[in-house]
Amino acid sequence: MDDSTFYDRLGLPRDATPEEIKHAYRQLVLRLHPDTNVNKGETELFIDIQQAFERLSDPKKKADYDQQLPPEPKVISPLYLNTYYSQPSLVRLSEPQLIYGLLELNIQPDTNLWVTSTPLNISLVVDCSTSMQGIRLDTVKLTAIDILRQLQPDDIFSLVKFNDWAELLITPGSLADLKSAEMKVQLLQAGGGTEIFKGLEMGFSQVDQFRSNQRINHIILITDGRTYGDETNCEKLANQSSALGIGISALGIGSHWNDKFLDHITSKTGGICKFIPDGGDIRNSILEEIARLGSSLAEQINLNYQTSQDVELSSAYRLQPDPSPLDPVSPLILGYMPRHGTMSLLFEFVIKEIPKNVTQFVIAKGILNIEIPRHTVRTKYINRIVFDRKITTEPAKEAPPAVILNAMMMLSIFIMQERARDEMSKGDFDSATRHMEKLATHLLQKGEDDLAQSVLNEVTYIRHNQSFSEEGEKLIKYGTRSLLLPARSGE
Amino acid sequence: MIICPGCGNKEMPGALFCKECGTQFTNINRDPTLTIPSSLADNLLNGQSNDSEHIVPPTPDDASLSLFLVETGEVIPMEGLTEYTLGRSAEDQPILPDIDLAPYHAYEYGVSRLHASIKIGQPYAILTDFDSANGTQLNGQKLSPHKPYPITHGDIFSLGKMKIQLLVNR
Repeated sequence: MDDSTFYDRLGLPRDATPEEIKHAYRQLVLRLHPDTNVNKGETELFIDIQQAFERLSDPKKKADYDQQLPPEPKVISPLYLNTYYSQPSLVRLSEPQLIYGLLELNIQPDTNLWVTSTPLNISLVVDCSTSMQGIRLDTVKLTAIDILRQLQPDDIFSLVKFNDWAELLITPGSLADLKSAEMKVQLLQAGGGTEIFKGLEMGFSQVDQFRSNQRINHIILITDGRTYGDETNCEKLANQSSALGIGISALGIGSHWNDKFLDHITSKTGGICKFIPDGGDIRNSILEEIARLGSSLAEQINLNYQTSQDVELSSAYRLQPDPSPLDPVSPLILGYMPRHGTMSLLFEFVIKEIPKNVTQFVIAKGILNIEIPRHTVRTKYINRIVFDRKITTEPAKEAPPAVILNAMMMLSIFIMQERARDEMSKGDFDSATRHMEKLATHLLQKGEDDLAQSVLNEVTYIRHNQSFSEEGEKLIKYGTRSLLLPARSGE
Repeated sequence: MIICPGCGNKEMPGALFCKECGTQFTNINRDPTLTIPSSLADNLLNGQSNDSEHIVPPTPDDASLSLFLVETGEVIPMEGLTEYTLGRSAEDQPILPDIDLAPYHAYEYGVSRLHASIKIGQPYAILTDFDSANGTQLNGQKLSPHKPYPITHGDIFSLGKMKIQLLVNR
């Protein structure tokens, strides 16, 4: 934070309005207040932010500060944005209406600043509870050894095993002796319970210790079980990680792990949560995750947004990369941006009322924050985003753009599945079954025969057991989620 | 307020799909008085000589469509939806096609559970095969799966071996 300006600390551009300064400050305070977070490193962050706000919120102090600021280094954001809307214009109605916005983030084609891969600072946190015994742990062990052998000199790697407690098996310092590190992995044994917090905490302490601006700092949790009683601690740790720029991802093996919980934890940090079904390729999933991190341009892209009065962001989805619903609260944690590729996000806004006498209506605006780790420094970039539409008296006759229509088609399938699972959890079997049947029909129409079959099997299971099977529920959830990837819907 | 033609569910204006049943709304939001150029098939039906008294055919919304089962002589009306799935219900599977051909010996004719769909569109309807086991033929030609084919009044298509004729009543 040496040469960071007060604007950087709040994630704001230098031309930020007083309103934006207040908004950004409030959001950071909510995340970092010392009363709720007493973790190492956070209090300093809080003080930094406090200091920045004190200066920038007072017009006189701000003016003085702006005077003494060195000229803004010329940083042009490497991202360019495309925005699409479901309608070319809005019409004033006496009832609430919906509009969809799709935001696409692309990397400027002439950007050559990041041709090399980003060095990693990662901790692999491996569940060694009894249920991991056999092929699961054996595969994880062999894969971990492969990773050890492929590490680059710049990479920092640690391995934590956990069951009822956690043990630091490989420290970043011990990698000089590769043979003995491999031996330690070989000797890993399964036994005991699944205390996820203990594992995460130790992984966190390792990544945090070596946390650096030049690297992707990340914890990868591999588990096949549920943790009991320490969920709140895990959540706090995720908040802390997120504030420090450490991502957490999870790979859940088989049917017994808690997908809702791990989705929640990982999404807080911009990480991803993957399901490896029984008989699935554990090795490949782990290697893919490492490769994904290595090829990330940036982690933890955030969108600080404000909707206009009488507008609500009712839902938000990341379609690409790694489709996932996003918690529709500001700041939106958007996750990572691949070095080669696109990020696309879909927003559903409910507009309750459009003010009189306007011809152009701002639905929402936001500030996109992206930090790119590079060999020398971590560079912060900011893009301003505005969702707006002109107001017309007649509804537009054009069809929505294909990108939105295709995304919504797959999204309606995903939503139907979410609905069925929600109804089931409330004990409404009839509605849940009905929606599952509709889901199967739609999947067959889209040519997703395997997934449709899983849904049908699940309907049969529900008829007999009045609940989802653990495996089936995950298959359907992650299966329909993966349909949201735009490449597939273009078929 | 949009009322879903598929299930009667209510959605807010601006919605693109029904959250209850997944029906796409975009077709029904649009101006319903599209004029459609008369196709060759229309000319054939109306007699080729009436080019002079060129009649713009009614929009699909105004015309009512029905399916004529060639072998049994039964007529199934198509009402209320913009897209219909055709297939047969089976006891062990909860697939529900919009038009269930099970009562018409669909199993014996080789109709799949979810065989094809008919979407109301230009000139009258669009037929799409869902990669069914025994395929769909249109006027004797086998259809490629998942590809839309326009069909019009009098066209005969077969699901497996079940022959069906599209009827347009004006």
